[in-house]
Amino acid sequence: MFSSQSFKDGVKHAIGVPALGLGSSMFAFGAFLHSAGFDIFQSFLSTFFTFALPGQFVMAETILAGGTLLNVFLAVLLTNGRLYPMTVNITPIIRNNNIPKWKQYLSAHFIAVTSWFNMFAVHREINQEDKFDYFVGLGGFLWANSVLCTVAGYLFSNIVSHEILVGMVFINPMYFLIMTVSNLKEKKLICSILAGAILSILLNDLFPGWSVLIAGVTAGTAGYFLFKEEVINE
Amino acid sequence: MSNQFIYLSILVASVGTYFCRAFGVFSARNISTDSPIFNWIKCVSIGVISAVIARIILFPVGILSEATSMSRIICTLIALVIYFSFKKNVILAVSVSAISFALINHFI
Repeated sequence: MFSSQSFKDGVKHAIGVPALGLGSSMFAFGAFLHSAGFDIFQSFLSTFFTFALPGQFVMAETILAGGTLLNVFLAVLLTNGRLYPMTVNITPIIRNNNIPKWKQYLSAHFIAVTSWFNMFAVHREINQEDKFDYFVGLGGFLWANSVLCTVAGYLFSNIVSHEILVGMVFINPMYFLIMTVSNLKEKKLICSILAGAILSILLNDLFPGWSVLIAGVTAGTAGYFLFKEEVINE
Repeated sequence: MSNQFIYLSILVASVGTYFCRAFGVFSARNISTDSPIFNWIKCVSIGVISAVIARIILFPVGILSEATSMSRIICTLIALVIYFSFKKNVILAVSVSAISFALINHFI
């Protein structure tokens, strides 16, 4: 049964730093699409249907570089491949026996780094039967806010200076960074985070399209097996 | 760059992205939160996110690539120093870092 209170709690959670962090980058993305020659409806559709900023930037840049549809598909698939382990990870946390399959597949559209981190930060404090509706409120609000911010960025790109746009687009990676270091509690996560960052840098020239996925899987696997026996004090 | 090509590109980008999410839901159907594979996937997820952040900071695409590498690195360190110096204040760390970044790129 749908819990409107859990949904509202999720929305409340999203309002503030999470929405500001993601929204500012989406605003800058909207301005970028304006300058790249997209129209406002295309900008709207990009965030409405994709809602994964690195992949959206890659899509636009591949188009601008004269890439084919296959180039766009593969480039976005590789860039957004990070969503796969995140979805495998968050789905068992938020689902319960009362949630039909179609709702699980629909709500997967709201899985992004910001919603993943924020759901992870609070899920132990929420009753199992309320987690799905909470996540839909949290992720759904971030998604709707991102769509609006993309359109606003497109409309107001001429008013905002380029330096401010550059500053705005820097907010989101810094927010991700802070949320990541806030997870420096378990040895296996510390190892995964540090190795992921270092390997990503080292592999960038060797495997430009694959470096993130190879680095993440290698680092996570190493972190997990090296500290498998670690006892966690919740 | 025709309008039709842009619409088709948005469509294939959306299909590629949603495939990652939908396949994730499908793969998770038999995974419980207390299983070893769940903990392994959690490590992989945070490893991938960490790799994404490192790449955004050092090898960005889009607007960020117009800023100098040094400004991105300095402001990343600013965010970390402020976060750990001021009782892990997320808003302060992120906002000071972003403002510093805009100022550095304006004046340099």
